[in-house]
Amino acid sequence: MSGLGPLSSFKRNPALRFAALVGPGAAFIVVSLLLPLLSIVVFSFWRTESYELHADWNLDNYRTLLGEAAYRIFFLRSLVTALIVTVVCVVCGWPVAYFIARHGGRYRLLLVLALAAPFFTGAILRITALQGLLGPIGLINMALGMVGLGPVEALMYTQLASGLALVYLFIPFMVTAIYLSLVNFNFELLEVAKINGARPWRAFIEITWPLNWLGTAIGMILVFIPCLANALTPRFLGGPDATSFGMSLAQQFGETGTWALGSAMGVAMFGASLLVILCLKPTIRLKRSGFTGAMTP
Amino acid sequence: MLAGVTVPGATLELKSVTRRFGPVTAVDRIELAIEQNEFFALLGPSGSGKTTLLRIIAGLERPDEGQVEIAGRDVTDLPPYGRHVGMVFQNFLLFPHKTVAENIVFPLRMQNLPRARRDEQLAWVMGLLRLQGLEARYPNELSGGQQQRVALARGLISRPALLLLDEPLANLDRELRSEMEVEIRRYQKELGIPFIYVTHNQEEALTMSDRIAVMRNGRFEQIGAKTEIYTNPASAFVATFVGHANRIDGRIMEIDGALARMSWNGGALLVPRPAGAAIGDKVRYFIKHEDLEIVPAAVNGVAANDVNEIRGLLRDIIFKGQTANYIVAVPDGGDLVVSDTPRTVGVHPNQQVIVRWPAGAGACFTDEAP
Repeated sequence: MSGLGPLSSFKRNPALRFAALVGPGAAFIVVSLLLPLLSIVVFSFWRTESYELHADWNLDNYRTLLGEAAYRIFFLRSLVTALIVTVVCVVCGWPVAYFIARHGGRYRLLLVLALAAPFFTGAILRITALQGLLGPIGLINMALGMVGLGPVEALMYTQLASGLALVYLFIPFMVTAIYLSLVNFNFELLEVAKINGARPWRAFIEITWPLNWLGTAIGMILVFIPCLANALTPRFLGGPDATSFGMSLAQQFGETGTWALGSAMGVAMFGASLLVILCLKPTIRLKRSGFTGAMTP
Repeated sequence: MLAGVTVPGATLELKSVTRRFGPVTAVDRIELAIEQNEFFALLGPSGSGKTTLLRIIAGLERPDEGQVEIAGRDVTDLPPYGRHVGMVFQNFLLFPHKTVAENIVFPLRMQNLPRARRDEQLAWVMGLLRLQGLEARYPNELSGGQQQRVALARGLISRPALLLLDEPLANLDRELRSEMEVEIRRYQKELGIPFIYVTHNQEEALTMSDRIAVMRNGRFEQIGAKTEIYTNPASAFVATFVGHANRIDGRIMEIDGALARMSWNGGALLVPRPAGAAIGDKVRYFIKHEDLEIVPAAVNGVAANDVNEIRGLLRDIIFKGQTANYIVAVPDGGDLVVSDTPRTVGVHPNQQVIVRWPAGAGACFTDEAP
């Protein structure tokens, strides 16, 4: 009985070892993620005056958000943009991911890494690069000008330009999520479907899509949520009519210094994101995704 | 009404079908005609091209040359979904996100059959394969045997012109396998659909099929009724691959009608005359384990003219239940295996014995034949 020092009792107690392993990471998450979130919820019920927060509890910030048309427009604009961008990313990302997973062969890893290459430069630089592509003296409009076609106005400082930039920024997440799902997909199942009378398109709908829906849904969340919060692309590419909710939110913490209202906007955004995830949840049934299926013995 | 349905004119014809992968010719000018009601086995070692041939029939692989005809129709250029064949795979390949019932009716849904017909045929095939009660399960909730039954049900439900089976029993344990061998043959006879069964397991092929093609290097080494393949192998390869045979190497000393005298270890054995052999040629002689007889050396009577005899030392007896394998060490240093009923033979290990068999039994081939 004697001779069991603290070290050996640590070695013998799996719960203790587990706590030592998980503890630091969990503590970091609590401190750096949950606490700021909580403080934002608290601030949203406070009041800002002359760039200072006052702790008198009220609902004025939420009244402003719901009452003023501008905020409703910003929010709807962000929501619709995020939805469209997500759908575009799914439609454009699927074939790319499918091609890499199916035909990438030994270059698969390289191709996926290539998707990450734009990240090496940072978001601002990438947006600036897009400005150079889409703007009045950008590559596209210059080229069109040289062959005698006028500049495409739709691409210059419009919501379309801002949305295009979002697709460009976030499609790598979508492709990566779908790719990671597809590398675990047994393509032989498609042969089985075809022998059993399924045309390629039908086989996709019956087999490929449902078995990779989980990965696709993860990609959709990875794209949708940052797009909803997007503040950058409208600022650089959007022009006057493209102000997004996220951009307005950023202004509350910057130029206008209305932190309490900004916090309320943050809470609204958090709620909206949560709502979208909750909407996706019932579509994900683990059995129906084949997730628990040990397909091959 | 459903159980006895046959598909009229459902035959398969392959005409000079060839498939190359780079420098390798996986399937080499194969000619084949499968009759209605036939259970046909493609037997061969791995890499012999049997699975490629099956995939060509299914439409999963296109032949470089030749033609595939199913039920009198040229389907060479048709994709798999236009051929109306069923296929069962070694690793089952059930759709993991669909229930048993959804898996099985999948082919009917692809044919846009009305729901009532679907349910009717589902009930029929579930009964045939004794799967009742499992309709709502997912594949990962089934045992290996049940999964294979579901795969068979999916292959059979639309009553295809042809059912292809690619080593369907290889992943099952031995007991289940022999049970399924009998059952699969029963389904084939009941439904009257031709089955093409790919296997590397000669016992499976012998148990289940009517006709066997032994495949090697993309060619049919021999094709014929299973008893023909078993008793009259056409080549040394078939002789080693089908059944269990002892191999004895020697040289032709004398040819006498249908028989030849082969020198062996100072003595001589009477063997069937190998095709194209001349005196002095090296030959390989194959004799099946069960064609040999073992007697104690004490019983040494007069060796008749038409009996081959080899003396040896009984090393061991491997008891297998219905039969036993007697391992006899013979003077050239090799072993002969004799398979016999254990109770009928009064011999013991480390006893001198005589192994004998009728002259001319077995099969003999010249050595240069691969």
